[in-house]
Amino acid sequence: MSAPDRLRIAGGTVYDPANGVDGEIRDVCIEGGRIVERLPADAPTLDAKGMVVMPGGVDIHAHFASSSCNHARRLAPDEHAADPAPAPALSEGEGPPRSGTGGTVPSTFTTGYRYAGLGYTTAFDAAVAPLTARHSHSELDDTPCVDGGIFVLMGNDEYLLRQIEAGERDRARDYAAWLLQATGAYAIKIVNPGGVEAWKTGQRNVSGLDDPIGGRSVTPRAILETLADAANALRLPHPVHIHCNNLGVAGNYATTLASMEALAGRRAHFTHIQFHSYGGGGGQPWSSAASRIIEYVNAHPEVSTDVGQVMFGPAMTITADAPVEYLLHKSSGRRWTNIDVELETGCGIVPLTYKDKAAVSALQWAIGLELFLLSTDPWRVVLSTDHPNGGSFLAYPALIELLMDRSVRDERLKQVNPKLLAGSALADGLAREYTLGEIAIITRAGPARLLGLTHKGHLGPGADADVTIYSRDPDIAKMFSTPRYVVKSGAVIVEEGQLRRAPAGRRLHVAPGYDQTVLRDLRRHFDRYSTVAFDNYPVRDVPGEPVAIA
Amino acid sequence: MSPSSTVAPVVCLGCGCGCDDLSISVSGGRIVDLAPPCPLARAWFGDGTVPAAILRASQPATLDAALADAADVLAAARGRVLVVLAPDISTQAQQAALTLADVLLAAVDTATSEPAAAGLLAAQRRGRAAATLGEIRNRADVLLFWGVDPTPRYPRYVSRYAIEPVGTHVPAGRAGRTVISVAIGADRGPAEADVTITLAPDDEVAALSVMRAAAMGNTLGELPAALAPVAEAATRLVNARYAVVVHDAEPGNEPRRDPYRAEGLIALAQALNGPTRAALSSLRAGGNRSGAEAVLTWQTGYPMAVTYRYGAPRYTPASRGIGWAVAGGAAAILVVGAAASLGSTLTDVAGRTPVVVVGPRATEAPFPARVAIDTGVAGIHEGGTAYRMDDVPLPLRPPLPGQRSAAETVSALLTAVRARGTRP
Repeated sequence: MSAPDRLRIAGGTVYDPANGVDGEIRDVCIEGGRIVERLPADAPTLDAKGMVVMPGGVDIHAHFASSSCNHARRLAPDEHAADPAPAPALSEGEGPPRSGTGGTVPSTFTTGYRYAGLGYTTAFDAAVAPLTARHSHSELDDTPCVDGGIFVLMGNDEYLLRQIEAGERDRARDYAAWLLQATGAYAIKIVNPGGVEAWKTGQRNVSGLDDPIGGRSVTPRAILETLADAANALRLPHPVHIHCNNLGVAGNYATTLASMEALAGRRAHFTHIQFHSYGGGGGQPWSSAASRIIEYVNAHPEVSTDVGQVMFGPAMTITADAPVEYLLHKSSGRRWTNIDVELETGCGIVPLTYKDKAAVSALQWAIGLELFLLSTDPWRVVLSTDHPNGGSFLAYPALIELLMDRSVRDERLKQVNPKLLAGSALADGLAREYTLGEIAIITRAGPARLLGLTHKGHLGPGADADVTIYSRDPDIAKMFSTPRYVVKSGAVIVEEGQLRRAPAGRRLHVAPGYDQTVLRDLRRHFDRYSTVAFDNYPVRDVPGEPVAIA
Repeated sequence: MSPSSTVAPVVCLGCGCGCDDLSISVSGGRIVDLAPPCPLARAWFGDGTVPAAILRASQPATLDAALADAADVLAAARGRVLVVLAPDISTQAQQAALTLADVLLAAVDTATSEPAAAGLLAAQRRGRAAATLGEIRNRADVLLFWGVDPTPRYPRYVSRYAIEPVGTHVPAGRAGRTVISVAIGADRGPAEADVTITLAPDDEVAALSVMRAAAMGNTLGELPAALAPVAEAATRLVNARYAVVVHDAEPGNEPRRDPYRAEGLIALAQALNGPTRAALSSLRAGGNRSGAEAVLTWQTGYPMAVTYRYGAPRYTPASRGIGWAVAGGAAAILVVGAAASLGSTLTDVAGRTPVVVVGPRATEAPFPARVAIDTGVAGIHEGGTAYRMDDVPLPLRPPLPGQRSAAETVSALLTAVRARGTRP
């Protein structure tokens, strides 16, 4: 690495909300890939006068490194053809720069480069079938510039369902711990608890928290409780990450609230809540229920969320919530891929375009913004587009502009289909404008804290030296889409807006302890039903040491 | 490793089934037995011996000299290079080969057969409804074999995945499953079928359309006699709890395969998901072919037929790389993997275009090679990852490690090529 071991980022306006710094002119000192208190006076300097300095961005929820994403890539040759991505001109001595393609699901190297070009230095793939975790790690190997990890899907897992049904919740917890370790994962993910298993059985889906699943006595409520308790008992850095039942269904806010209430008092992260904040249904037209959801979130500090904002334009819906994708395929007539994954989960993919003249798209867009603007605690309501489901991560700057500039937001609002916006708080007028400090919270400090990444999302001594430096620009979207400098682990990887280095990212994973007596029963289960041998299942070569569990 | 040992559980890449439960007995540096018995596994593993030579212009050479010559040839041809991802290499070797292809602005071709390519293209137009093999094992209660008896070319598909095994939702195993065989010309179905239907090759797409219409609940009206049995079969599929349509995505015995077969099968499986749940199981050959398509997809966005000639990946499914090279487009060719799989395809072109081969039995390539570097075989001598026909990645546990690594050799070649300053 040709980057200096030491670097002083001098004189920038620093936004480091985790350390109470809100737009102060100060130096940020880096040594050995970490933030340090001070440096010798003769340390190399990067002049950041007049610029905005923030920790590197942290994406808490995206889909970019999974078998599902690869199926989605296959489904979009037209998008790739329209967005060829030549290899960047890296500095001398760097590994070979790689070309690729973009579109809603870019190829791996292009994904890493584009995240870096956006000032993001950490990202998690939020839905990986355990059986294909090995594939995700291979993709992450080829996704430079970002430290990353995966959340593994457990909410429809055959072995887990059997343990819950048998009342063996301790064994379920031990299994969750084993599975995290076996897959090199960072967090437990639940998608449509029980609904994917129901889809496979012909029950097609579940609709309420107390619906029996596929003729069993297990319910979505029991899955939520078991895995939330497991994550907390295992002291995982990130609590259970929940995609609720009834995604995308009119009136689903009631299910979302019921899910939150079911876990009252427990740490839990509810993801892409925009897709779960719909009113209407039962003969009533779609409407916004954002205020109902955010009111609950605001009042319950144990709950955190990311929004899953919809941005107008092309998207690729990729989810383990396979029954939803079938309905989307039938309603849109678009291409549809479905992959049922043995004993674990599912996968559905449908390309989609959110149009501002389409009433439902406009409502989704408005609901996301309402959630942001009505949130009273930005540390717990953080930014995502559920990339690429609600839109590409490349749309984050445009979203930031909508949050920071009411005039831009109001102008955009005039252009969208108003049919379903009656009663929408956004349509009624929301004056709030996010500050740079709040943007720093929802894009880096907040996600890092929710992920339990104590070395990320801040610029205090000991933090990873991941720093993004923006030139101030009245065009907010432009400012956030083209950082002047990006520093990754102490190396300047973006210089004057150009990617110059592309280091491999570090892998973020956990290895919680568990009672190993579960292994005998688990081996029996594998022998009986799995097509992969128990001894071949674990990913044994995950790079890097596991993140320490407090 | 001790003189005699047993290595287990080992993945077999003899076909796309990717059975990962093999025990391999090794003695004196050779494979002496394996279990469970499978003719393709025996053929795949053999006794595990492979040549370990290096040839340059048909003469023995050192690795450094061979790599230097290969790098000279490839770097000089930058922009007019063909890289072939042949079978029998790990995903890691494929990743390294694509890095080299990118640096060389090369066209890339794979061992994807023409019928398999047609299936990939059809899936890009329509999507697909599929499942991992274990889902078939655990859930399928009605199986339709479309012009394929898996046993000859996928010997353990029936016992491990599709017909015989006990599953979570098929506790009675074979007795809990209905098997429908559709013979199409010379492509027969499984002998143990409960229902047998015979179709002429010219009728197969019409038959698929009839079945799809039935799955969609359309009124079929009066059907030609040849198609009536498939309408009845469609009823069985619709009434299944979980229906699976199995077909061979590779070339079969019947030379007349309707070019729209793949699209018809995909459409049928998708339509069956209206009244019930269903999946299409596409049988693929082994040697980590699926892995090549997976790596290509994550690195370029496309599963096959990619060229880097224009500075970024472009998709050329109508003009694949080997055809381009045979037509005289390539100034140099790099084959990574088992050259024998290419047969005589490159014989003529190799006479006028320098070919570099890095892979198992490279020095025994069926065409003249400028440079040939033998390596081990993925899963026999070399670890890493390989993909099953259903895109499930598996860890390779080589019973005879110690041969030259294809992944490392290609990486060394990359270093040598880069040292020649190929990227401006």
